[in-house]
Amino acid sequence: MKAGGLGLAAAPALAACGRGFGGGGDDDSGDGVTLNMVWWGDATRAEKTQAALDLFREQNEGVTIEVEYQDSGPYQDKLATRFAAGDPPDLMAMRMDSLREYADRDALLDLNEYADDLDLSGLSDNAATIAEVGESVYGVPAGLNTVGFVVRQDFADQYGVPIPDGNTWSWDDLAAFAKAISDASGGEVYGTGFEAQTLANILVFTRQRGENFFTEDDQLGVTAATVQAWFELINGMRDDGGFPPAGFFENIGGSPDQSYIAQGKLASQIIPTNNFLGYNEACGGTLVLLRMPGETQGVRRGQSVDCPHLWSVAAASKHPEEALKLLDFLLNDPEASLATGTTRGVPANAEVAEEIKASLEPDDQAATDFLIALQGEDLPRSLLYPPGGSAVFDFLDALAVEVEFGRISPADAAAQFIEQAEGAIAE
Amino acid sequence: MSTETAVMPEADVPPAPEQGRLSAGRSRGRRARRDRAGYLFLLPWFIGMLFTVVPFFASLYLAFTDYNLLNPPKWIGFENFTAMFRDSVLLKSLQVTFVYTFVSVPLSLAAALGVAMILNKGIRALPVYRAVFYLPSLLGASVAVVLLWRYVFGLDGIVNAFLGWFGVPAIAWTSDPDYALTTLIILHVWTFGSPMVIFLAGLRQIPVMYYEAAAVDGASRWRRFRSITLPLLSPIIFFNLIQSLIASFQTFTQGFVMNDGGGGPANSTLFYNLYLYQQGFNQFNMGYASAMAWTLLVIIAAFTALTFFSAKYWVNYDN
Repeated sequence: MKAGGLGLAAAPALAACGRGFGGGGDDDSGDGVTLNMVWWGDATRAEKTQAALDLFREQNEGVTIEVEYQDSGPYQDKLATRFAAGDPPDLMAMRMDSLREYADRDALLDLNEYADDLDLSGLSDNAATIAEVGESVYGVPAGLNTVGFVVRQDFADQYGVPIPDGNTWSWDDLAAFAKAISDASGGEVYGTGFEAQTLANILVFTRQRGENFFTEDDQLGVTAATVQAWFELINGMRDDGGFPPAGFFENIGGSPDQSYIAQGKLASQIIPTNNFLGYNEACGGTLVLLRMPGETQGVRRGQSVDCPHLWSVAAASKHPEEALKLLDFLLNDPEASLATGTTRGVPANAEVAEEIKASLEPDDQAATDFLIALQGEDLPRSLLYPPGGSAVFDFLDALAVEVEFGRISPADAAAQFIEQAEGAIAE
Repeated sequence: MSTETAVMPEADVPPAPEQGRLSAGRSRGRRARRDRAGYLFLLPWFIGMLFTVVPFFASLYLAFTDYNLLNPPKWIGFENFTAMFRDSVLLKSLQVTFVYTFVSVPLSLAAALGVAMILNKGIRALPVYRAVFYLPSLLGASVAVVLLWRYVFGLDGIVNAFLGWFGVPAIAWTSDPDYALTTLIILHVWTFGSPMVIFLAGLRQIPVMYYEAAAVDGASRWRRFRSITLPLLSPIIFFNLIQSLIASFQTFTQGFVMNDGGGGPANSTLFYNLYLYQQGFNQFNMGYASAMAWTLLVIIAAFTALTFFSAKYWVNYDN
């Protein structure tokens, strides 16, 4: 019995070591080069990606590409273990918030050293340097993205509440709109709802107040006052009835079909704009895409052009030239982006983005226009998260729920957050 | 029959010593060959052990290092272990795990024993009932059931609909930090099948004559349960208790699936193993995670030892 306990207790540690055995080895037969490419996503994205890879293969005979993809959660674990086992993929999808975890430990290829193989001239400054650490660049955007507010036109019409001007509306306008919808629907529909702990949301609010969540020298930039104001903003709307009560947001999965706005329980919510097509379809084509509130009232702009999905090359890759060639193809060849569309966001190469726009569905075109317009404006730069950043968001997540259920005041939660976050970054 | 059993072993009996050196050498060779066959049959187990023993000791080494998965581990002595005492999230995860274990283990064992006693009443179609009650245990820790559970206990789920008939306002069973762990405990109690089947087997071993004799003496049903069933079943209870205790300390899937790997809401379902996993894979602190794994091993060993020690006061082996 005891022996059984011993073996089982060590199981987590075993699992840690056991998973790295997956992944494809380098099986070079003849002159051929085998690239291993991994990314996260679903079957639709897989189909589109495969179409682009087929084109690449036609042009580059002798290069075999082994593709592996999975959901974003397990993807993270698998990537870490692949590196730990000394068998990293050649080309990989990299999350912006984990880039530094790898880059700071010399696991990724510095793309600046391969400027001849990879052409970044078609990218905006922000996009080309989004994964810059010091003098080095460790990733390029697979697609550009931002957040936007979607509002259901049918609810606005039904309850006779006009939708505010999306380019100039304030957080107060949002609160007033939300309350009006909730009141007019008799509590059937909540005017708005989003999670306080979702990073993309609070980042916008933080920038509007003139702060960066993390500073360029890897310190915590957000102040307790801002975190407190964010919690109070949401608490205020909740007390008004415009925002759903505590516990409303359950774990319902991330697909647009399952979303509260598609279920008709919310009249507005925040989405990543590359999902606009999916959400609008799920809502029967009734959505209007607005900018985030508070963009013209804040100290500075809050929206930024982000890149949730970067492409990186492993420093230990045996075929960096071929991997970069593939990356260059995905980034700069319009044919590649015609095949993939905006599944990972708007193509980072502005010319390519313009070129493929006409071939996109109207909703994808709308989202692309939304992003291209933003990209032409003077926005704050989006910064990478320092190593240890993920722990910071775990703290925020837990505290946001405590505030939601009234177990702690916004002021106390903000103070605790700063203390915990500073501790985690200092480590 | 008897002649067979008498003859059979003789073929395997080693030659008597007086047969001399030559045959002794031959017998050694034969034994070696026979042993080789045995080891050959054990080979799968040895290969399996390799995948267990090597990581087992590797994790012991890593527990004393700073290891981020990407760079070679750096020896830091006991630092991981001392850091655990300052980690408030770790203490929270310990609290979650202890509450879960000490509430759900007794409840699920009581449920298992209760149902086993009902099924032991000589019900017709017993195999069917046994299978039906066992089914949840097959599924209990699976992702599908936890997902199903999420809907049953969702805001618009069956449970709230049922409570609504009695005027109870809707409860956010899975997203309210006050209820999320309770929901998982109910899920655990529901999966009482394995101990139930073992209890059922144990109950059938108790001779009916004891109950008949007690009934003749006028013993009440409760008295018969307390004085016959419990003592005679105590070795089985002991076995089930140890099994459940160890499994419960290592709970992972329920907390992982319920809130997409987060242990939320507000860390209320952050089981120790879930936090260990987060440390190792999300935050790249594999050295710390290894230290946590070994600490859990010590905790489980301590509680198992305590249970074994207590056994002599309540487990009855005299049949």
